Amino acid sequence: METGAATAGSGGEAEDLRDPAYLKIRDAIYQISGIYQSDEKLYLLASRCARRMRAVKANTPAEYLEHLTLRGDRGAELRLLLNEITIGESYMFRSPPQLEALRNVVLPQILATKGAMGLKRLHLWSAGCSTGEEPYTLAMFLLEEREKMMAGWNIDILATDLNDNSLTAAEAGIYGEYALRSTSDALRNKYFQPYDDKRLQATDRLKSLIRFERVNLNDDSKMIFMKGMDVIFCCNVLIYFDLSSKRKVMQHFYSNLLPGGYLFLGHAESLYQVDDRFHLVHFPGAIGYWKPPTGYRGGGKP
Amino acid sequence: MKKLRLQNLIPRIKAMDAMPAVPTIVRPLVELLQLPPDQVRVERVVQLVSYDSTIAAHCLRMANSPLFGRRNTETVRSAIVALGLKRIQAILMGCSLNRIVPPDKWAFDAVIFWRHSLGCALVSSRMAKLIGYPDPEKAYLAGLLHDLGILVNTVACLAEYRECIHIARETHVALHQSEAENLGFTHCQSGKILADQWKFSADLAAVVEYHHRPGSAPVAAPLVSLVHLSDLLCRLRDLGYGYYEAIGVDLAREEAWAILAQHHPTLASMDLARLTMDIDGAMEDIAATVDAVFKPQ
Repeated sequence: METGAATAGSGGEAEDLRDPAYLKIRDAIYQISGIYQSDEKLYLLASRCARRMRAVKANTPAEYLEHLTLRGDRGAELRLLLNEITIGESYMFRSPPQLEALRNVVLPQILATKGAMGLKRLHLWSAGCSTGEEPYTLAMFLLEEREKMMAGWNIDILATDLNDNSLTAAEAGIYGEYALRSTSDALRNKYFQPYDDKRLQATDRLKSLIRFERVNLNDDSKMIFMKGMDVIFCCNVLIYFDLSSKRKVMQHFYSNLLPGGYLFLGHAESLYQVDDRFHLVHFPGAIGYWKPPTGYRGGGKP
Repeated sequence: MKKLRLQNLIPRIKAMDAMPAVPTIVRPLVELLQLPPDQVRVERVVQLVSYDSTIAAHCLRMANSPLFGRRNTETVRSAIVALGLKRIQAILMGCSLNRIVPPDKWAFDAVIFWRHSLGCALVSSRMAKLIGYPDPEKAYLAGLLHDLGILVNTVACLAEYRECIHIARETHVALHQSEAENLGFTHCQSGKILADQWKFSADLAAVVEYHHRPGSAPVAAPLVSLVHLSDLLCRLRDLGYGYYEAIGVDLAREEAWAILAQHHPTLASMDLARLTMDIDGAMEDIAATVDAVFKPQ
């Protein structure tokens, strides 16, 4: 990060990477979607752009930048590029640092606060759950934690998506090796059963924790009823929204969360200048957005 | 574990000066680092680096690392030209300090210690530039040396310190907290003794002593706060002490943030998430550099 544009580890594309247009593309993506690629990861961005550049017949990164920023169909092109960037991200236990933050910091706080009020129900929301990898991960994680530190607690995971096909797949809970590549044998044996010779299906016990529902995050009439959440996960969903929709969704999330609740985004996503009521909280290897309790003035531990 | 009294360790810390392992160049180097850049002669730095072939080799490896642009510098002089006098002196200081602890006498892995120190140096200078702090090279040096006290504790009470670190690791608490609870004093307190002994400038000494409680720093509060925040950021991005600290930190509501924002109002608009992702991006290079320089060959 001291040396400006990375020229390292890029083999044949080293020359392209020095093209300042990549930095502009990076910054344009960041401004519009909140997805950020550090200087050291520019070679990844370049290879993702290369695919789209071939598709739209752009000869140089500068020309492609025009496709992203000036042309009439720029919105559609950005969406296609974002699909390339976030591709292959959907598998279970994709973000261990987020789960560690839940285990070590977030859950102990919430359990203490709610437990003191005699409330023993935990509400999590996977907003934009796609084909279900995230809610099943949370369900397994929480069932395991319940055996250790949250005996007697009820767990309620709401999993929503806009896409009906994704939701149907999520409800079926059938996964192949790719989706399960980071899931240990112990967890597979405990929470999945054989479906066919290549795939496993989530057990009814695992499914029973999750409620699937079709929700459009832009639909105000629906969003105002999603109340009482402790933690919301919304990974790589807001990147497709324009700034004003993003702000509106964040306002909803803020009121959907209980005071002291947390919002987690995808690992390269930022909420910078989208909503300043959320407090940016750093955990080891992860970032969370925190809704402080009423009267919080800082200084203490979030 | 039984707590120690820092008072009893002072003679041992002061004797660190005379230890055969302490390179003779540390003292003159500290003096040189206090001078304004225009009063430092390249010849003098070349001379200091060349005293010790191991240190000269470390210095060159560092200058040639991916972190500093993968140059192919073969002489100390060209490394100085490429990286600048101040940066070379800081690198030299780090390499010299590494010699204080014999390879088998580290309380935790030397590589972990230097990753954290170098990470903190880079984040400090990066943040300094972002917010318009006037001397990014001083921020770099302060970040690099802030944990001097960890070296002191390692040399002065190795067995007890290893136990103290073990407890921190098992209970996921911050190192300085475990030190206060188990050792009886923190690396900030012990580091200050050596910083004074070596005649560190007042602001560097303040960083060593107050980087965990920046609100109490009597001088150089912005620099101390800058290093405090960089230290936290590093520990939160896998550039910590090699174990999981169970912390969630609202950085923008830290006391250090408020202090720094008073002097540098641009801090308020700094994109913290982006800085964090930049640190993530630089992690590999930091690790590779430290491995190349400090990993036992």
